[in-house]
Amino acid sequence: MTASTLKPSTLPSATTSPLAWVRSRLFPNVRSGILTIVLAPLLVYAAYRAALFLFVNGRWEAVTRNLTLFMQGTYPRDQQWRIVAQIVVLALAFGIGAGTASAVRADVAKEAGLALPRQSPLSVIRRFWSLIAFVLLLLYFASTATPWLVVAGAVAAFLVGTLARFIPTSLRNLGWTLAALALVAGFQVVSGTVGYSWIVTAIVLAAGAWSTFKFENVEGRRALLYRALVAVAAWVVTYLAYTQLVYPGVGWDYWSGLHLTLWVSSLAIVLSFPLGLLLALARRSTLPVLRWLSTGFIELIRGVPLITLLFMGQYILGFMLPQGTNLSSISRAITAMTLFTAAYVAEIVRGGLQSIPYGQTEAALALGLPTGKMMRLIIVPQALRAVIPALVGQFISIFKDSSLLYILAINEFLGVRSLVHAQADFRAVAHAETLVFVAIGYWAFAYAMSKESQRLEVRLRAGRR
Amino acid sequence: MLRVVGQLAALVVVFVVFRWLIGNLVTNYSRLNIGFDFGFLNVPTQFQIAYHPEFNPRLPVWRMVLVGVKNTGLAAMFGIAVAGVLGLVIGIGRLSQNWLAAKLSAAYVEFFRNIPPLVAIVFFSFAVFLYGPLPHLRDAIEVGLPGTASTLLVLSNGEWGVPGLRNTGNAPLFGVLALVAVAASAAVWVWRTRVNERSGEPHHRVLWSLGVLAVVLVGAYVILDGPVVIDWPQLSENRRRLASGFSVNSGFMSVAGALGLYTASHVAEIIRGSILAVPWGQTEAANALALTNFQRYRFVVLPQAMRIAIPPLINQALNLTKNTSLAVAVGYAEITTLTQTSIGNGRPAVQSIVILMLVYLGFSLLISLILNIVNRRLQLVTR
Repeated sequence: MTASTLKPSTLPSATTSPLAWVRSRLFPNVRSGILTIVLAPLLVYAAYRAALFLFVNGRWEAVTRNLTLFMQGTYPRDQQWRIVAQIVVLALAFGIGAGTASAVRADVAKEAGLALPRQSPLSVIRRFWSLIAFVLLLLYFASTATPWLVVAGAVAAFLVGTLARFIPTSLRNLGWTLAALALVAGFQVVSGTVGYSWIVTAIVLAAGAWSTFKFENVEGRRALLYRALVAVAAWVVTYLAYTQLVYPGVGWDYWSGLHLTLWVSSLAIVLSFPLGLLLALARRSTLPVLRWLSTGFIELIRGVPLITLLFMGQYILGFMLPQGTNLSSISRAITAMTLFTAAYVAEIVRGGLQSIPYGQTEAALALGLPTGKMMRLIIVPQALRAVIPALVGQFISIFKDSSLLYILAINEFLGVRSLVHAQADFRAVAHAETLVFVAIGYWAFAYAMSKESQRLEVRLRAGRR
Repeated sequence: MLRVVGQLAALVVVFVVFRWLIGNLVTNYSRLNIGFDFGFLNVPTQFQIAYHPEFNPRLPVWRMVLVGVKNTGLAAMFGIAVAGVLGLVIGIGRLSQNWLAAKLSAAYVEFFRNIPPLVAIVFFSFAVFLYGPLPHLRDAIEVGLPGTASTLLVLSNGEWGVPGLRNTGNAPLFGVLALVAVAASAAVWVWRTRVNERSGEPHHRVLWSLGVLAVVLVGAYVILDGPVVIDWPQLSENRRRLASGFSVNSGFMSVAGALGLYTASHVAEIIRGSILAVPWGQTEAANALALTNFQRYRFVVLPQAMRIAIPPLINQALNLTKNTSLAVAVGYAEITTLTQTSIGNGRPAVQSIVILMLVYLGFSLLISLILNIVNRRLQLVTR
């Protein structure tokens, strides 16, 4: 009998009946059946108690009445437009980033002559379902229309941002520049031009302008001059925009709530990355002094808990600076968290560096590349690509560890609870409710990131074949 | 030449930065008249430690450090025990062919892995104990031992009374004999294993060593005329404190319990990964030998999986020990909490934090030492 004569009806059907499913999955043998019989009533009872707590007994007004407090803490209410603007700008940044990335993928696929699988909106929802569920929970708890407007604005900004995929290939860097710029601007909108932080934006914009407008049809030196002029113009525009529009802003010493949690963990990972990269390179270096110094630093930091470093920041760092320097509690905590994360990032990057076959180094040496160029062009890019999932894991871990600021009496997402329970109505009640809410918040972000890192891992592994 | 100059330059930069930081520190400290000596260790602590009635504020600071180290060690030990047992069960549960068990284990792992351990600790401390369903100590629930007048458990929101042991005079000697009993049963275990390997006769080592242990312990107990008696928990007359029994405070239960639950999710993932890393041919071979499910796990899969799992498990034990420092948020009297209180009471911060870090570095070294020995013994079995 050949395959063509097989009738579809004789093939085992792919979908089994519910009864068969129950038998094969829940009662395949006696022991497994007993396990099911023990677990099922326990599960039903737990679900019953949970539902009772969630829908009947729980005093959720401790959360609903203080939703603003949980989100932005004690951020000045008359400056609230900054947070709203920030959310919209960040959504725009992610939109531009996503649009540009998909355009890059489309280009690559076209060059390889492959059809690009289209991403359905459903797959995006499945990827970020925990975050979407958290936002829906917030909207459910909201008592005013503002959160609805903010979410609508953010979605609209994201969709506008994805239009970046229509930017022509020759100006591709423009998309990335705009995304980076919007990210930094999102930070600047809430912090204002405190000190010289606007310089960061100016640098991003100038670098973006430099790399986007290459003036390839202009000959020789003149192209360089044009590019420099564009960069300077970008710098000046940034300066004017920031001093005129954003000044004076609210420094991070006055931030709290989920807003602070997200920014503190982002800053710690962004600031620690260059430091960790340098430490990893030093630890792999052939120069013994550099190796000893970085090994000593890394092992010392990894041997002690984060809280001891935070204590050092709180109790000692102030004494280590000249008299009169006044670093805020949050700045000192960010310093401690950056040093702590740098040691872990260094170990992750070292793992990546070690995973690169020695043949790569030999090939680079055979091409006559000096050590610096070899690292920059050959080794480090491959090593970083290999450790992206681990770095996301470290980001999740520092995101969770940012809750330690609560111990230093800084009111981040967990710490704002102390403000809620200082209110007369909730002094000794509703602790479970606020803690469950906080746990769901942390969980939604960490879960989405861990799923994303697993996806990245699969994709990168596929690329290495 | 350039290499030497570069390294020297790096050294000089690091030295200058340190010099600047330390110089500022010295200047500021001498301005405030604080020294850099460790003499404060002999000064009275001047504060009471919660749930430690035997500790009085006149005891020196170094005694406080010892209390802190002991409590850190206790919380870490119980946390590791909880995490190990629960993690093993859940890790195996995720691979179960029973759909319900597999999904429940997966949900447990995905939930606990993605919340901060501090949230779990604070939840236990505030929502389960302090403001939870249990009453205050004066209205504590007393669970009686059926058939007798004594109490088995005293449950309150601050501390639990559980049965303890009371010394009636010969307890230290009995302790020494108990150690002897453990050593003897270990020796018997080794002897029976050797006999089995040499002659092939059944070893029955569990029966043998438990038998030796029981004989020595019962004998010592009878000869010493009851050196320890069970101390049933009981509230004092005014119901303000536990008069007898062993007191377990809510801080300890929060820290050990929450960290145990949190770390169990990581342990489960490690166990699952290690079991999956054992080649499928091993399972097929075990099935071909007609081993039962239990035998397949006990004698074929788990020994090989454990060998893969030990290094990451070392890391988890270390993480858990370092995470006990989060107890400072709920006031459990371990070393970090006590150091913070003591700095708040005017002890010099630099020396206190140096001691704190040394304690944790010591714990880290100790755990990696113990588990490295275990690791080496497991690795030696491979051929």
